[in-house]
Amino acid sequence: MERLGDSKMTCVLERKAQIKTNKHLTDHLYVMELIVEDIPSLVLPGQFVHVQIPGMEGHILRRPFSVYHTKQSENKLTILYQIVGFGTQKMTTLGAGDTVDVMGPIGHGWTIPATCQSALLVGGGVGAAPLYMHAQELYKADVSVDVVLGAQTEAALVCKDRYEALLGQSVPCSTDDGTYGYHGFCTDLVSKSLDKRSYDYVACCGPEPMIKAVCAITLDRGIPTFVSLEKRMACGIGACLSCVVETTNGLKRSCVDGPVFNASEVIW
Amino acid sequence: MAVNLEVNLGGLIMKNPVTCASGTFASGHEYADFVDVARLGAVTTKGVSLNGWTGNPTPRIAETPSGMLNSIGLQNPGVQTLMERDVPWLKEQNATVIVNVSGHSLTEYVQVVEALETCDGVDAYEINISCPNVDSGGLTFGTDPEAVNAVVSECRKRTKRPLIVKLTPNVTDITVIAKTAEAAGADALSLINTLLGMAIDPYKRTTILARKVGGLSGPAVKPVALRLVWETHNAVSIPLLGMGGITNGLDAVEFMLAGATAVAVGTANFMNPHATIDVIEGITSYCEEQGVQDVNELIGALK
Repeated sequence: MERLGDSKMTCVLERKAQIKTNKHLTDHLYVMELIVEDIPSLVLPGQFVHVQIPGMEGHILRRPFSVYHTKQSENKLTILYQIVGFGTQKMTTLGAGDTVDVMGPIGHGWTIPATCQSALLVGGGVGAAPLYMHAQELYKADVSVDVVLGAQTEAALVCKDRYEALLGQSVPCSTDDGTYGYHGFCTDLVSKSLDKRSYDYVACCGPEPMIKAVCAITLDRGIPTFVSLEKRMACGIGACLSCVVETTNGLKRSCVDGPVFNASEVIW
Repeated sequence: MAVNLEVNLGGLIMKNPVTCASGTFASGHEYADFVDVARLGAVTTKGVSLNGWTGNPTPRIAETPSGMLNSIGLQNPGVQTLMERDVPWLKEQNATVIVNVSGHSLTEYVQVVEALETCDGVDAYEINISCPNVDSGGLTFGTDPEAVNAVVSECRKRTKRPLIVKLTPNVTDITVIAKTAEAAGADALSLINTLLGMAIDPYKRTTILARKVGGLSGPAVKPVALRLVWETHNAVSIPLLGMGGITNGLDAVEFMLAGATAVAVGTANFMNPHATIDVIEGITSYCEEQGVQDVNELIGALK
């Protein structure tokens, strides 16, 4: 069991945020820019915000979203979201000037292993977003960073340009339909990358089956791997025990003990 | 005008009528960024068993219209951890502490209470009789008057502290169970626990909860809870801790008018992490506006 204090990295704040833009990117993907005090400057890579969406009183729970990127000078925090249900569908109807209630930053995000020299980041679908700030941080820390992205279609590779601009190199991508890059799953690209050079750290986020498949490859090669897991949650601050993940160290809460976990301790 | 907010819940003096519903607030520490737990009438801790339970498989929750279902399964680390870690923290904050006691057998309830009797910081017990009784094939204690009588009277023998018994609404006539608990020595009753419900994904053709059914809570249950508090108030003479869908001060006032001496805020904590404080402030504003000098005037004051 966790000891008191373990779950707290920083204070969780609650703030009113104003929507600056809410842009439709493709199919089910949207990007929302929020202007909010304090939280953008406190967010660490891999942390999330817990958002109450206005105008849906019959749906009482908040929705968790990993932070994609921030611009502290503008108090700006950006999230990438996918329509998966009523809440995210409702979010698409919000526009500039609308207000949402935001709790954050929440959770244990990514941490750079002390001896890390070369990192491989693997993002599937909307899971490319929670890795972006980590890529920035690794890049700043002079860690050699490679990124592999996968999505259903070329249009859904919405984070690619941002990663390429950061790294100054093209990012290997896979698409399920073959409209861009490698035709197939990004797990094949992960194997290829690992054959080409050695990495001492892998970070992965995406749909759970994809995370599982990536971990099977990287853990088999003995590479320390960290994953961001998203579970159904209610409170978002560690109280309700809805979002538990089974680990070799017992049940952990994905909201505050995660969302980033050492893959070697996760029991799939 | 300063409103008197202090109430006496079966011997437990609360500085105001508001506590949190067990299981929605952990032991308060998780809410420390939003709530000074000393401001609450009491903190009711997450249900605790003797050696801890791992709880149910996930998914454990489903959002439903104006509410949610949960089947957490009373995951808890056991009474020792509560006594060593949570109660001392709550006492450092000067909180009043109600410990929610769970068990899968009569013996387990008794053992948990016996363990807690050695812990100075506990101010009252809330006995959760909505647990399945493994000795009678998993039947819920709280639906069987004989089992309720046994649990309450055995716990009663072991403590002089205020004993609150938390009733399940999943019965034909809640007053039968309420009277049984009163006769067995309960100092107060809390109600309602969650209503059994179900949520289905029509595309997958499966239930959303791994355990198929779960407890419904949130604003959706408020009318049912109010009716049950009112019926129970008319049936027993011990005080009631009312709960079920309270999100603001006026909701709380409605429960007091129906007969509750105190109220608990549950699912609202998930929507709004400082809901408990908002409810205290809401009750105060209502009293000020309505010229109510003592919050006790509201109890059962339904015309």
